[in-house]
Amino acid sequence: MAVLLAASACSAYAAAPVDKIQAMLARPPVLCGRFDQSKQLVGIKKPLLSNGRFCVVNGKGVLWRTLQPFPNTLRLKRDEIVQMQGDRVAMRMDAKQEPVVKMINGVLFSLLAGDLSQLETLFELDGSVTGNSWNVALKARQPALAKAIGTLVLTGGAYVKTVTINEASGDRTEISFSGLQSGSSAMTAEEGAALE
Amino acid sequence: MWALAVALLLAHNAYLWLGKGVVPDTDIMALLPVQQRDPVLQQAFTHMVDAAQQRVIVLVGADDWVHARTAADAYNAVLAKHSALLQTGMQLSEQSQQDWLAPSQQMRLSLLTPAQQAALRQQPAKYWADTALQQLYSPFSGPKLGAWQDDPFGLFSGWVQARAQETPVRPRDGYLFVEDKGRPYIVLLMTLRQPAFSMATQRAVLPLLEQAGVAARQAVPSVELVSAGVVLHAGAGSAQASREMSTIGIGSLLGIVLLMWLTFRSLRPIVLIMLSIAGGCLAAFSLCWLIFGQVHLLTLVFGASLIGVAQDYGIYFLCSRTAADCKLDSWQLLRRLMPGLLLTLAAAVIGYVGLALTPFPGLRQMALFSVIGLLFAWLTVVFWFPALVSASTLNGSSFAAWFGQTRRHWPLLQWNRATLLAALLFAAFAFSGIARLKVNDDIRSLQTPPKALLADQIKLGKLLDAPTPVQFYLVRGASAEQVLQREEVLKQKLEPLVASHIISGYQAMSNWTPSMQAQQANRSLVTQALLAPDGPLKALAAQLGEDDSWIKQMRERALSGAASANGGQALTPEAFLKTAASEPSRHLWLGQVDSQQGSVYASIVALRGLNNYANLPVLKQAGEQLDGVQWVDKVSEISSVLGHYRQYMGWVLLGAYAAIFLLLFSRYRLAAWRVLAPPAVASIAILALLGVIGQPLQLFHVLALMLILGLGVDYGIFLQEQSMQRDRFAWLTVGLSAASALLSFGLLALSGTPPLHAFGFTMLIGIAVVWMTAPCFSQDSPREEK
Repeated sequence: MAVLLAASACSAYAAAPVDKIQAMLARPPVLCGRFDQSKQLVGIKKPLLSNGRFCVVNGKGVLWRTLQPFPNTLRLKRDEIVQMQGDRVAMRMDAKQEPVVKMINGVLFSLLAGDLSQLETLFELDGSVTGNSWNVALKARQPALAKAIGTLVLTGGAYVKTVTINEASGDRTEISFSGLQSGSSAMTAEEGAALE
Repeated sequence: MWALAVALLLAHNAYLWLGKGVVPDTDIMALLPVQQRDPVLQQAFTHMVDAAQQRVIVLVGADDWVHARTAADAYNAVLAKHSALLQTGMQLSEQSQQDWLAPSQQMRLSLLTPAQQAALRQQPAKYWADTALQQLYSPFSGPKLGAWQDDPFGLFSGWVQARAQETPVRPRDGYLFVEDKGRPYIVLLMTLRQPAFSMATQRAVLPLLEQAGVAARQAVPSVELVSAGVVLHAGAGSAQASREMSTIGIGSLLGIVLLMWLTFRSLRPIVLIMLSIAGGCLAAFSLCWLIFGQVHLLTLVFGASLIGVAQDYGIYFLCSRTAADCKLDSWQLLRRLMPGLLLTLAAAVIGYVGLALTPFPGLRQMALFSVIGLLFAWLTVVFWFPALVSASTLNGSSFAAWFGQTRRHWPLLQWNRATLLAALLFAAFAFSGIARLKVNDDIRSLQTPPKALLADQIKLGKLLDAPTPVQFYLVRGASAEQVLQREEVLKQKLEPLVASHIISGYQAMSNWTPSMQAQQANRSLVTQALLAPDGPLKALAAQLGEDDSWIKQMRERALSGAASANGGQALTPEAFLKTAASEPSRHLWLGQVDSQQGSVYASIVALRGLNNYANLPVLKQAGEQLDGVQWVDKVSEISSVLGHYRQYMGWVLLGAYAAIFLLLFSRYRLAAWRVLAPPAVASIAILALLGVIGQPLQLFHVLALMLILGLGVDYGIFLQEQSMQRDRFAWLTVGLSAASALLSFGLLALSGTPPLHAFGFTMLIGIAVVWMTAPCFSQDSPREEK
């Protein structure tokens, strides 16, 4: 945990493309869709493939439901992180106990919602725009955070399409989003209840 | 001769005040007995209490992190220029953060939380395999420390999280901070380089903190500053005591001057009385300094009230002089007054000697200060007054004459109905009051810090969830290993108390470095439950599509890492204390301590979230019957010492009554009781009154009863002495003494310091009662009416 704690808010540095990208992003109040995740870990031969559904609700939180290979739900709310394995709570962290929870949530939330101006406080952004699509590389401003998270690459258009995480340890995670829906009908009642 | 002695005193005082610039001691603890029986315990206190005493903590709160940082930087910038006074907290470097957990990380197989131990014993292999898989697949699986393969089951990160829960303080951007309801508070830790109880420190540090606060407010107007530290309380306390000392001193002096002027209408007697008081005070300060090497502020405050007693001798002489025949030479008059003067001095000294016999250094100092002061005031009267006052010097005023007359209106006690009725009424009042009297020796009731300070203290305690420095367990053993093992036994007893929210947690060295025995047990538990051939690794491999060689490799990685960690050494407190991670735990480990039983090892197990004092017995009980574990509660220890001395002083008081009775008996025979009765009646009345108004009896009430005896006997003696023309001038002497005593001690009752208030209140009532009842106990009505 100590390593994650070193994050910082620095002066807002904005490379020109970032403003442009920010303008391209739709950022609806509710965004749901399918994700496909591939993790390549050092010491494990086969990539770990998983998929499921996710929802990002502005001001509420993030629901990340893995369906394959086994059901698992990660719920991020402003003040807590809960990991459910079936009905069992596998992990729970709340901001009262662990003040850093808020920061972690902030980063993950911004990442999925494509909120670059928020990410800019923690990362140096470097991006380019080609037609309707863009990509941005994120490098943590604090060495400790860099060590914990590594570097990130986001690509997208009106929405974030892929997130690639390269960790210092050599582990690599690729997440791609598809079937994106926005608006009130995007979220199922079950998902809505889970985020309440 | 006497002039020479006084000149010497004057010179010594001038040297002390002007030359050395002495400041009185203000540490209330310095007034309490030092317990040196147990050096280990003593050292534990030094470790916990003294360190806490030197600390100043300021929380800089703002609406957001950027503002909090700006304000904290402004605050720190002011302090940075005064590093000789205050050492400001370390800046957390990247390096220290990265190295923070390295030693523990190497030893991860040896480190488990109680919950993990339970899970390892109970949960099936599938549980652990699922846990590992879930962490693998999840995009975010909680804090991650190092490579997945080094902690596939998340045990080490769970342990680190448990350690992090020992404090809500977190590092961020090189600052320490806590968060409360979304507000960040930057924690500034400062250490005083000079003793917190020194007035010089207070005078230098308090304005500096004030200045830093102003700077922070200028930078961020909405900043919230929460400060706490013993020095703030001590500063407030000494400022109050200094204020009161001068108020009481000046008030009683003015009162006396006014009374003297009304009585004698001449400056000379006033100067003379001042002279005797000054002689007494100078001598008392000088000699106390020589004997104790330090004079406590409370002694001076108590000493200021001494003026009320020291003047009695001078007043007695002056009043007698006014009354005496003009033909009588002043030296002859003195000879005639001598028995009375000697008696009053002896009675006062007896009272104070009782105080001096207590093992309370503070009381001893106050008693000695008073005895010396009285003795020198007395000597000044005896040596100088007859030389400086001749029969023609003084003229009684009309006020003196009028006052002397008033004695006629007092009823005398006789065998009649009125007396009996009065006695019955008083007895009824005394019984009903005393029956309701309660006692309270709690040290906490003796301190009333300013409300703002107290509020800050409470808020800070809540935010930081810091352990209490005055209640803890002291654990001893023959070796470091034994101490750690005993801590572990104790911790098992504490776990249920955490679960039932009596405490929120505990800090112990064994949380960081378990005993070898526990480390060994943890290792075998992990090896058995997780690394066994048929264990979760196999299930995991099947899921991941890995083969047996992968299992073997994971297994070896875990075991060889543990074997080679720290060069094959197990984790020890000594090694741990060298790391940066130990910074917040260093106060816990006393290590090797020399005691009478040879050298032992000792540590402290500190408690967090202890906010209900009613739970103290439960905590005490938890440590009972455990080998080498001792529950330490400084607050109740001091309170019980106070209680002990309250009782002790009660007996000393009774003894003093007896001793003074014998002394009086030698002169007045069967009339001796008439001298003692007024203070006795006053004392009983006070006890009853305390009972009626529901104020609990404290040590300081009893101390005041002692002084009431000393003063009351004086009045009795003045009224009883045959040598004095016993009519109006004896009464005038008593009136003048009592009025000025009331002035000085009455002002003490206004004090905001609870001990002084208790003392002053008792004196106020007591002296008034003595004054009003003393004439009633006279043998007969004054012979001369005019």
